[in-house]
Amino acid sequence: MLIAGIDTATVQVSVAVGGHEGVLASTSSSRGRQHAEVLTPAIEFACRQARIDLSEISVVAVDLGPGLFTGLRVGVASAKAMAHALNVPMIGVPSLDLLAFPVRFTSRLIVAAIDARRGELFYAFYRQVPGGIQRLTDHQVGSPDDLASELLATSEECLLVGDGAIRYREVFEGLKKIEIVEEGLAYPSANSLVMLAHAKALREEWVKPWDLQPLYLRKPDAEINWSTRPSA
Amino acid sequence: MNRTRVLGIETSCDETAAAVVVDGHEVLSSVVSSQVDLHARFGGVVPEIASRAHVELLTPVVARALVEAGIDDDHVDAVAATVGPGLIGALLVGVSAAKTLALVWDVPFVAVNHLEAHLYAALLEDPELELPVVVLLVSGGHTLLVLMEGHGRYRILGSTIDDAAGEAFDKVARYLGLGYPGGPAIDAIAMEGDPEAIAFPRAIMDDGYDFSFSGLKTSVVNHVRKHPEVATEDVAASFQEAVVDVLVTKARRAARDHGAKGLCLAGGVAANSQLRERLLDACVTDGLRGFLPSRSMCTDNAAMVAAAGWYRLQSDGPSPLDTGASPNLRLVSP
Repeated sequence: MLIAGIDTATVQVSVAVGGHEGVLASTSSSRGRQHAEVLTPAIEFACRQARIDLSEISVVAVDLGPGLFTGLRVGVASAKAMAHALNVPMIGVPSLDLLAFPVRFTSRLIVAAIDARRGELFYAFYRQVPGGIQRLTDHQVGSPDDLASELLATSEECLLVGDGAIRYREVFEGLKKIEIVEEGLAYPSANSLVMLAHAKALREEWVKPWDLQPLYLRKPDAEINWSTRPSA
Repeated sequence: MNRTRVLGIETSCDETAAAVVVDGHEVLSSVVSSQVDLHARFGGVVPEIASRAHVELLTPVVARALVEAGIDDDHVDAVAATVGPGLIGALLVGVSAAKTLALVWDVPFVAVNHLEAHLYAALLEDPELELPVVVLLVSGGHTLLVLMEGHGRYRILGSTIDDAAGEAFDKVARYLGLGYPGGPAIDAIAMEGDPEAIAFPRAIMDDGYDFSFSGLKTSVVNHVRKHPEVATEDVAASFQEAVVDVLVTKARRAARDHGAKGLCLAGGVAANSQLRERLLDACVTDGLRGFLPSRSMCTDNAAMVAAAGWYRLQSDGPSPLDTGASPNLRLVSP
């Protein structure tokens, strides 16, 4: 089984190729705002570095978000096209899972937080379990203060990871029993994506390209305005 | 000679479309999934809603276009996609998918200008079209008079200095309570009205090739305010008459001044019945050939993208895989 993993949910674009033997090759860049320009050549590059032909890919995995809408859609649209053209199944993994996975070797609570812009975060709580991580909460959208109150409410030590945690560092740093993971692990990575997708593939948790849906967590602004209009 | 089957993909606004066209003129399939119902209640296209719908619809639309074209196990020979102008988030969905398909199938990717694709809609149905022709490109976002001298050789003779023609239709329709999209709504109701009931202004009719429609829109609003009893049918018919009058007059003048062999319509507003009739009449009078693409080729579709892509592939070769979207792309770079 060979898995191609595509992640464009944050300012970072990353692609990895791997399978039973782990990750064979990966590439990432985080200069932001050039997702469509960067992604297609990155797929080509990762496959070449892994010395595999694209036609050997048997599963396409993609970061489902939540994240920045425009970037997220570049990855999801490309991944769907790839799975469609190769006639292979897909696996979707949420971005917050990908953030929590690499920092799992701890007994602390893990809190993954992505910068959602507009003064908000996408976040979720995790704990290490044998063989991986378990999500303890739903994916949430809230202000840094919302997350800070949730952190205060738990008596446990917490490890905060993600560009959202770093951006609002000053809100969390004053809290007790909190540690923030530094920049190197601030974005979801396609390496984690390939590893988590591999586990899901063994459980045959496939999705068809036309059924796969990104996790937006926010309605389009027009619909929000519409539903809050007095006449609606 | 080998036949080149091009898959075209169009996601620049609110239509998700895919088509397979051979050698720029033989349409094997053309699938258009309109999102008009998703946007109607907002009275216009909402970019975020459009982008989300493209992600959801593109895979099934491409799959259907391939199946209808009889391409099952095999694949096409090139993939073309609209890269601009249009809504950035919407464009990126089609561009990203098209580049990935091209990469996986190991065939050329071709970046297509949406405006150029509209010009090729006419050629698609009439490959013998004799150049030069003057093309009147009228849609919700554009109003252009173009002299097409050869493949890929265009001169912009005139454009709108404010609202696009289709935009004027949408705004007037919204004001008259006719719903969205405004073009078909006004076209339909105008059939019942008197086009000479109200003498709306024809802006800069006698001078140059540029257009202006924002004053006309204001006149409609002012007239209805002053005469609330006026029949909506008459307002719609008279408004449409004013728009068509200006468009046809300037297109004829442009054709005469530049020795064009024909006059060609393109863009969504080219589906307007009055405009089609008047332009065809003008062509007969002036001894020009009139090229009116069928209505389904006037509005956004991917067959025109595949056709324009084929011509671009012949002249310029493939586009690089690091191509992005160009929301403000012009037909002719300044």
